[in-house]
Amino acid sequence: MMAKRRRKTNKKAKHLFAMSIGRTAITGLFGGLFWGLIGLLCYLLNFSKVGPSLIFAVFPYWTGKDSVYGQLIAVAVMSLLSLLIAELYLFVFSRIKSMWFSVSFGLLLWFIVFFLFQPFLHGLPEPARLGWNTTSTTLCLFALYGLFVGYSISFDFEEQTGGSNYSNQ
Amino acid sequence: MEKQAAKPISKAITDNADQMQQILDIGPHNFDVGMREIRILGRDCRIYYTNSLVDSSILVVMMREFMRFPNKNEKNVNVFEEIKQHLVHQQVEEVTTLNDSIDKMLTGRIVIFIDGESTGLCIDLRHYPGRTPQEPDVEKVVRGSKDGFTENIIENSGLIRRRIRDPRFRCEISQIGVRSKTDVCICFLKDVANPGLIKTIRKELKAIDVDGIPMADNAIEEFILKQGWNPFPLVRYTGRPDVAAAHLLEGHVVLVSDTSPSVMILPTTLFHHVQHAEEYRQVTASGALLRWFRFMAILASIFLVPLWLLLVTNHLLPDFLNFIGPNDKDYNIPLILQILIAEVGIETLRLAAIHTPTALSTALGLIAAVLIGQIAIEAGIFVPEVILYTSAASIGGFATPSYELQLANKMVRILLILAVGLFHVPGFMFASTLFIIYLAQVRNMNTPYLWPFIPFNPTGLFNIVIRRALPTSVIRPSIVRPVDKYRQPAKSKTK
Repeated sequence: MMAKRRRKTNKKAKHLFAMSIGRTAITGLFGGLFWGLIGLLCYLLNFSKVGPSLIFAVFPYWTGKDSVYGQLIAVAVMSLLSLLIAELYLFVFSRIKSMWFSVSFGLLLWFIVFFLFQPFLHGLPEPARLGWNTTSTTLCLFALYGLFVGYSISFDFEEQTGGSNYSNQ
Repeated sequence: MEKQAAKPISKAITDNADQMQQILDIGPHNFDVGMREIRILGRDCRIYYTNSLVDSSILVVMMREFMRFPNKNEKNVNVFEEIKQHLVHQQVEEVTTLNDSIDKMLTGRIVIFIDGESTGLCIDLRHYPGRTPQEPDVEKVVRGSKDGFTENIIENSGLIRRRIRDPRFRCEISQIGVRSKTDVCICFLKDVANPGLIKTIRKELKAIDVDGIPMADNAIEEFILKQGWNPFPLVRYTGRPDVAAAHLLEGHVVLVSDTSPSVMILPTTLFHHVQHAEEYRQVTASGALLRWFRFMAILASIFLVPLWLLLVTNHLLPDFLNFIGPNDKDYNIPLILQILIAEVGIETLRLAAIHTPTALSTALGLIAAVLIGQIAIEAGIFVPEVILYTSAASIGGFATPSYELQLANKMVRILLILAVGLFHVPGFMFASTLFIIYLAQVRNMNTPYLWPFIPFNPTGLFNIVIRRALPTSVIRPSIVRPVDKYRQPAKSKTK
């Protein structure tokens, strides 16, 4: 996809693409922040056993990470991580218009975290032992995060390429 | 169907008279259309009118003008031109077919047929029964203009035109409904509104095939937006000309239809329904604050009750919120049933209040407050918390500026309560997620319903969260895809 884009290089297209990288960065940051905070809320209300501080699970000896401040720092770090994920989405998937693909993208991220990374994340139980509450809460949050980031990026791309009209069909 | 039968106006006036009589049954069978025979310059003329819709005082002035014609050299003059010359009115049209004349006559214009001429004259003497502009009930403001749209399309477009005197402002009129022939007008700024949008609206209006639309704009909405069972309002109605004008300047298109005191703003997103003119009539800071309170109220009207039920029935309350909840655990009816009964009760009360005369509504309020509130708790039907939270949620609903949105939110709240009652945390999470995904996939006029939240647009969201002062809002909202992006004309010239 990148090769195709490079072939069409002219100054304006390059400029537009740089702008959309910037917009994507903001989308990623905001998405991480917003859904991170919602995740924190769900954790505080005991919907989910894992909070945003799951991101620090690679540092098993930091005891303060589960406090509210630790969680807030985790949300901040998550926003940065989300920025990278958003850019990745822009480069790889931005041409896919479907909203459902974005939702699936979120679910895929959930699968990666809770299945593939699970052995390396200290304190995260196996998927089967998570419990219904935690599973459903995290699954939903990841799906909404995917929808937010993916749909925003592909809609932005669609608008830039001028493929939009007002038809109801 | 009328098109094929378009009959030209005959030169012999008796033919025309017979035709008109046959089509309209003028007389006791059709009392509100009438005909007057008059002889001008030696020619037989007939004036057809709809007496309920014509301004008789002007008609009388016209007839007096006809009767003053000197009847002398009628052989030499061009009678048609002479009569046309003496029509003391600015709106005169020529008509050539009988069907056209009848259509025009039934809107309240008068039609004059002259013997020996195959062209009729049609003069606009419309005078519709109606009220004068007054402030719309649902969109009151503390300070600011108190005029509102009425049922008259001409007055309505006049109210908008008074606010936008731009020569590039367009009011495109067309008729909808084969029988009702209701006037519908598309208003837009020619060099701002997206041409694709206008084209789509024109096409959709043209495609409407129906006998009549007595419910005016609501019927049009059902035709062009294909709402289906979606309870969320896909279009914003306003009864305030200033709101309509503000949206026109943003690049929206406004649809005015005759006989309706509200106009439609297209395209619309969910966030159009949570704003109110009042916020724009106050200082920026207070406006933003009002808006924040409103957002909180709207969110509470959806999520407060289900969340409380979820936390309390599943013992999920964190330590710092432990004081919440029914303190005596020995209530008789399960909490979810209590909530549903309370919801039904509040809704019944509201419905009753709508058509209770003001004189009785005090009594109604008293019964509601004392009997239901107090005694239901003492009788052991409700725990006090249920009353507290359901009332808070309904007040949140009343703070929603759009009545349609208020009803839709109520529906979602009840669904969430049921989901919580049946499936607890997973139910709540899945239901809320599906709710958001559902709203995100709604697109009307190709406009994502949750824009600027999903898909995210930083500028758009900022404008909704913080109400901006007019001098600092430089660009029009990108969702209307305006031709001219800048709100400040000097800037659009330099770009």
